[in-house]
Amino acid sequence: MMENGFNRRDFLKVLGWGGTAVALSGCGNTSVEDGRETVNSYVEAADYVIPGIGVYFNSTCAQCDAGCSIMGKVREGRVLKLEGNPDSAINRGKTCGLGQAGVQHHYNPDRVREPLQRKGEIGVTITWEKAYELIAEKLKDVSGEEIAFLSGGVSGHLKVLLDNYLASFGCRNHFVYEALAPAVVRAANKKSYGVEMPRYNINKAKVVLSFGADFLGAWVSPVHFSQQYAQFRKGVDGERGVLIQIEPKMTLTGANADRWIPVRPGTEGVLALGIINALGTAGGDIAALVKDYDKVRVSKETGVPPGHIDKIAALLKLRSPSLVLAGSAAEGYAHGSQNAAAINLLNHVLGNVGKTVEAAAEVPFPQMAPARGNTAALKALNDGLAAGKYKVLFNYAANPIFTAPGGMKFKDNWAKADFKVVFAHYMDETALQADLVLPLDSALEDWGTHVPEYMADGAQINIQQPLMERLHANTRGMGDILLALIKQRRPEDYKSYEDYYGYLRAAMLQNKAALGGGGMDDDTFWSETLSKGIVKLAGAATTAVHSKAGATDLTLPAATQDAQYPLQLIPAVNVSLRDGRHANLPWLQESPDPLTTIVWDSWVEIHPKKALEMDITEGDIIEVTSRTGSVKAQAYLFPGIHPDAISIPLGQGHEALGRYAKGYGVNPFQILDAVFDKETGELAMHETRVKISKTGQRVIVVKDESAAGAKQIRKKIAGRMSTDNVDLSKEV
Amino acid sequence: MSVNNLLENWAQFRHFHPVDDKPHDPYKWAMSIDLDACSGCNACSVACYAENNIPVVGKEKYAHGQAMHWIRIEHYWDEDIGVPGGREFPEQGAQFLPMMCQQCEAAPCETVCPVGATNHTADGLNSQIYNRCIGSRYCSANCPYKVRYFNWYDYPTTDNVWPETMTRQLNPDVTVRSKGVMEKCTFCVQRLNAAMSTARSEGRKVHDGEVQTACQQACPTNAISFGNLVDPESRVAKQWARQQVELTKDKQTKDAEPGGSRLRGYRILEELRPYPSVMYLERVRESAV
Amino acid sequence: MEKDIRENIAWAQINKDVLRSLEAPRPLYWVILLVALAMVGVGVGCEIYQYQTGIGVANMNNPHVWGLYIATFIFWIGMSHSGTLLSAILHLMHADWRKPIYRFAEAMTTFSLMTAGLFVMIHLGRLWQFYYSLPYPNERGLWPNFQSPLLWDAMAIFTYLSSSIIFLYVGMIPDLAICRDNMHPGWRKKLYSLLALGWEGTDRQWRNFRVTYLTVACFLIPLAVSVHSIVASDFAMSQQPGWHVTSFPPYFVAGALYSGCAAIISLFIILRYVFKFEEYMTLSILKKTSRLTFAIAMVWTYLNAVEFASVWYSHDEAAKDVLIQKATGTYAPFWWMMIFCGSVVPLMLAFKRFQANIPVLFAVSLLLNLGMWLERWMIVAPTFSHGYYPWAWDHDQWPSLVQWGIVFGSFGWFALLFMVFCKVFPSVSMYEVKEMVYHRSLALKNGETAEEGVH
Ligand SMILES: Nc1nc2c(c(=O)[nH]1)N[C@H]1C(S)=C(S)[C@@H](COP(=O)(O)OP(=O)(O)OC[C@H]3O[C@@H](n4cnc5c(=O)[nH]c(N)nc54)[C@H](O)[C@@H]3O)O[C@H]1N2
Ligand code: SF4
Ligand code: SF4
Ligand code: SF4
Ligand code: SF4
Ligand code: SF4
Repeated sequence: MMENGFNRRDFLKVLGWGGTAVALSGCGNTSVEDGRETVNSYVEAADYVIPGIGVYFNSTCAQCDAGCSIMGKVREGRVLKLEGNPDSAINRGKTCGLGQAGVQHHYNPDRVREPLQRKGEIGVTITWEKAYELIAEKLKDVSGEEIAFLSGGVSGHLKVLLDNYLASFGCRNHFVYEALAPAVVRAANKKSYGVEMPRYNINKAKVVLSFGADFLGAWVSPVHFSQQYAQFRKGVDGERGVLIQIEPKMTLTGANADRWIPVRPGTEGVLALGIINALGTAGGDIAALVKDYDKVRVSKETGVPPGHIDKIAALLKLRSPSLVLAGSAAEGYAHGSQNAAAINLLNHVLGNVGKTVEAAAEVPFPQMAPARGNTAALKALNDGLAAGKYKVLFNYAANPIFTAPGGMKFKDNWAKADFKVVFAHYMDETALQADLVLPLDSALEDWGTHVPEYMADGAQINIQQPLMERLHANTRGMGDILLALIKQRRPEDYKSYEDYYGYLRAAMLQNKAALGGGGMDDDTFWSETLSKGIVKLAGAATTAVHSKAGATDLTLPAATQDAQYPLQLIPAVNVSLRDGRHANLPWLQESPDPLTTIVWDSWVEIHPKKALEMDITEGDIIEVTSRTGSVKAQAYLFPGIHPDAISIPLGQGHEALGRYAKGYGVNPFQILDAVFDKETGELAMHETRVKISKTGQRVIVVKDESAAGAKQIRKKIAGRMSTDNVDLSKEV
Repeated sequence: MSVNNLLENWAQFRHFHPVDDKPHDPYKWAMSIDLDACSGCNACSVACYAENNIPVVGKEKYAHGQAMHWIRIEHYWDEDIGVPGGREFPEQGAQFLPMMCQQCEAAPCETVCPVGATNHTADGLNSQIYNRCIGSRYCSANCPYKVRYFNWYDYPTTDNVWPETMTRQLNPDVTVRSKGVMEKCTFCVQRLNAAMSTARSEGRKVHDGEVQTACQQACPTNAISFGNLVDPESRVAKQWARQQVELTKDKQTKDAEPGGSRLRGYRILEELRPYPSVMYLERVRESAV
Repeated sequence: MEKDIRENIAWAQINKDVLRSLEAPRPLYWVILLVALAMVGVGVGCEIYQYQTGIGVANMNNPHVWGLYIATFIFWIGMSHSGTLLSAILHLMHADWRKPIYRFAEAMTTFSLMTAGLFVMIHLGRLWQFYYSLPYPNERGLWPNFQSPLLWDAMAIFTYLSSSIIFLYVGMIPDLAICRDNMHPGWRKKLYSLLALGWEGTDRQWRNFRVTYLTVACFLIPLAVSVHSIVASDFAMSQQPGWHVTSFPPYFVAGALYSGCAAIISLFIILRYVFKFEEYMTLSILKKTSRLTFAIAMVWTYLNAVEFASVWYSHDEAAKDVLIQKATGTYAPFWWMMIFCGSVVPLMLAFKRFQANIPVLFAVSLLLNLGMWLERWMIVAPTFSHGYYPWAWDHDQWPSLVQWGIVFGSFGWFALLFMVFCKVFPSVSMYEVKEMVYHRSLALKNGETAEEGVH
């Protein structure tokens, strides 16, 4: 198959040949006979190798931005398993399934192992020296304004180095892009509370009212929130916490709610105002704002029965403090900011701010603070590319060709840049369109520092350190690459750092005192830092949260009808695959989706009532068409979705990324319309409307759940009690 | 190999089932799982793959029902949801249930195995001896919980199960099973053995919390507790005691209380008398909303 | 009264007729043999593939771990009861009419056991470790598990098979001597000389022979009953709904006799046609066999009804669910087919005019056996798709072509053994037919005398 980029087959051929070359040139797996073996003697083994005994090294999970601390079990020089580090306030020894699968990124057979340069349709193996020369040459005749750097969320010293590199040629075009970031909520939080990410104390709340925040699944810091959730269920003062989840498509969190309320997609803000109205406790501006949102109107617009609104209001009044969360299901609209603001307002009205919504600690090094990714950045880059502004384009830790909404035509615009460098772990969709692919070390081979976006307790800096030697001789750490590149520009300033490790160590030692190492000698401080894996910053500053409600001029449109595209498309975030970057991990592909138990595929969730109307049964191949495009996938009948919506999980549908990802499922990003939140310019992920039709084909859905449909007919398999009948106070 | 020897050993073997005259000592491994905390996130299941060298069988074999997950997260929906005439939405969510081998004290799988490849250990586990298994699958046929997984293929040599480089992740403490043998959750026996061995060489017993199963260790909600039921100070023993669930009963006294006991502990299919070693705590749902 | 056999067949004629069946085969024989060989080829091919690749290619799954192999195993064990019934039981009951047909029935017993035994092994995930299930002496004291019905199975089948071979052989000794005496020198002569053990037909030999034969027959009857009871125990001793049924042992034995009888009818007709045994395999005998089959069919039907009723009126909800599942679930068509073939079709046998109607009987007997095969499948499969644990419900699987291929091949294997047997050994017992003719002529004589007395 020819594409306007590389020819994939030839590319892989070259890649495969490259891989063999490495093996032959002696990186360990040679036979005794060829006489070039380096024998590893256990008599004189390195001091961290104890044959037969696993040793744990601390590091940081790189699977998502939550920044959980991990311990890697290392035996005979191989990292075998990742466990949570009990000392981290974020995850306290726990990990999620995604975190567990980190080792599979490291050992993945489809990693890029050599630098590759495009020669026409194929990629040819080159040396690193050649690669660096090539970059220097391409940058020679372009101005800083003609260079763009696209990256995922970055923090810590890597961010510092990257900023410095870009500054070295006066480039201000760093686009930080995350396809699934809570960017609208951040902006709304900034307005409502004065901080982008306050600390949410789920464990202190008696009621959690969540508008589509999947905090047990994929939202912000799921392991941390899961632990808080467990405490919340045990109860504050013996009173078990009540979770109410309001969202048009049931998330994992919704599936754990005491009451799950399907709301008409997009009307979350209206419901929030309706609840404020029903509470009747607000005064002044707020009372004026909500006065028209009486039960009858709100119920009509949202589809939530008036009785429910009353019950919620009554419960919130009775049990305080509570916590109200605005999540991705609420923010994904053209009026997403308004929705989020209305929801945040509830926390003010309920007096939760300062109790369950608190100020988060901050790292006292602003240059290391996380550059938070969003989708507006992608739009800005895309506009620039479309206008032909950028000649040289770098891409790191993002796969925009896969994740950009189809409506953006990103792939076409990408081609307009003359020279594209992709720092890659795999030949993903974006790397395939590169002119130069630079192979990266895995997260378990690399050095780094990370500042989590969501701070659990005090502020902390997480250390990432190699858990074993490089698996492949010719990959490099991103820090090392940046250091090599910046040395091209400012050799004098950086010549004292032999490698990124040296840079990191020096940088950390420079701030030893501020990092809690005052009075320690350098080596002690450094080895302690590494052995702990976390630098806790006691007494770090916090920005206080506003306790007063912010702007109250909210305009919330009523839900619209669209005869041509009658259904709302909800792109669901899969707990494991996220934006698709983990689709090549076999453990995750085979880890059933918790709600449908489907594996290795995509599906279209549709309410049984709607399915009956359209004569759709499970396994029917459905064509889902939006204004932007269409995809075909198997139908799955699911009662946990609003009948006016359908949902397709994100993350599948790869055309590249290796054997475990390629060819499974469909990519709903492709059919997302380019609609943006009016206030923040963020992509409105839930604004795409679709129509569906049967194709006449049918498949058997591959899932763990039995055909009997997961009912426990007459037997007590999974027991459930009502709070009236249980006495939790007696429990251990 | 005298008949006398046979009879004696046989009597001993049979004695491992819970009887009051021969209690477990010093260990009886047991678990409790709080379904109110469990969020159904699947972390435990992935951790089990990582720890126990469980093969990923791929889409086609999964479609044939040949998946190998030793711990599977089940979900149950109320029966009247989404069916004509029933309720439209699952308003109280799903009920998640992590299900793995219940390490039955009187395991139905053990008695039927023709070669004694699966049997009871002195510390209360249902063990599986891969070398001895001939693949008759009778054990699975007789397991009430259907938690035994059979190696239908030779996964170590199957394409893309453990291709080169992936093999290096394999846990050297756990066998990589070959084709034709049965396997299932072992309560991470390799971890238990390491802990018991350390304790023995230090002349003590394994203390509570010293050893964790991989699923328990990962679980973000701490829904899984694991420990020694013989040790009355262990968390698990305390939970079982507080919930009034007794290992050697097939019907708990508390269940006879009129109006219910207000205790959440129960064991699944207890009435079949396998005497499972896993206690579940019922999920709770708020009545006020 | 119809004649089971003509009273005036010359003894030399009997020898000649039967020995003729050992001689140059007719083309039809070759056709059947080649077809059987081809079928075995298919089965062996499938097994080699399965052995190499893993038993996953049979399309079984977790928890649906048993499939057609176990079902077909029970089927063949059932078949094996025909010989024992006709030879041993009817022998003890002095039912003379069994004599011309018991030999091939005994051969059937042996060969179906040999086929059944194969299935136990084909079913194993690790066939190469089969011997672990035997209590072979070893210094490690590794015993098999004496609690497991599967072990009882292994032992019972082994015992039954060896006893059946002995029974078949012992009963054949006088005939082997006849063969020896009538053969030209060659491999056959050597074989028969060896096997006839120097039989000369002396009184002493006949006396010892009778005692031995009777002893083995007496030994075999409880064995036959026990072997299928033990196969039933594989299920009845388990804890699974639909399986732990108290009435399974007699139910299995009845089913076994039933399918054995049906198979006798089919083979009776085939042999009668292929070897031109009309003289010995008479319609009168066929009629008796049909009646016997009908009686057993009704017993089987009754036991079925007992099982359904006791499940239906019990408080075992899980077992009841399985029953409902059988009648209405995915397996319903097969289950109803089983009821039809097993309980409705045999009603034909109640009608006199069908009892000796060869085309009808042939069709009926094949349908009965189909029904009996389905019965075994319907015992095995539905419990897997509807056991105690609802999460594992309805993970139905359709047996793969490999599974079907091996089942198909097993019929070829059986046919092959049987056809070879018929060419090497006399498939009709010559000495007993002679006895029968003699008895009949005696009876006629007595009858005549008696009649004379009346007048
Ligand atoms: N303390 C203690 N002593 C023991 C034992 C014990 O348990 N404890 N066990 C005893 C037993 S059972 C045994 S078998 C012996 C084993 O004792 P050894 O036979 O000494 O075994 P190894 O230590 O494995 O050393 C074998 C050597 O062969 C080399 N080698 C590996 N492959 C090849 C090859 O292909 N060609 C050649 N030429 N060399 C190769 C290895 O590098 C190594 O140096 O030890 C005995 N001694
Ligand atoms: S939440 Fe994110 S950082 Fe934490 S363990 Fe899971 S993937 Fe890793
Ligand atoms: S749960 Fe099943 S496999 Fe585990 S001990 Fe019990 S019967 Fe055996
Ligand atoms: S599959 Fe293995 S463990 Fe199970 S009964 Fe057969 S031999 Fe025993
Ligand atoms: S106890 Fe160990 S083997 Fe069992 S499910 Fe948990 S992790 Fe897997
Ligand atoms: S890891 Fe814990 S919360 Fe998640 S599914 Fe397993 S038991 Fe439940």
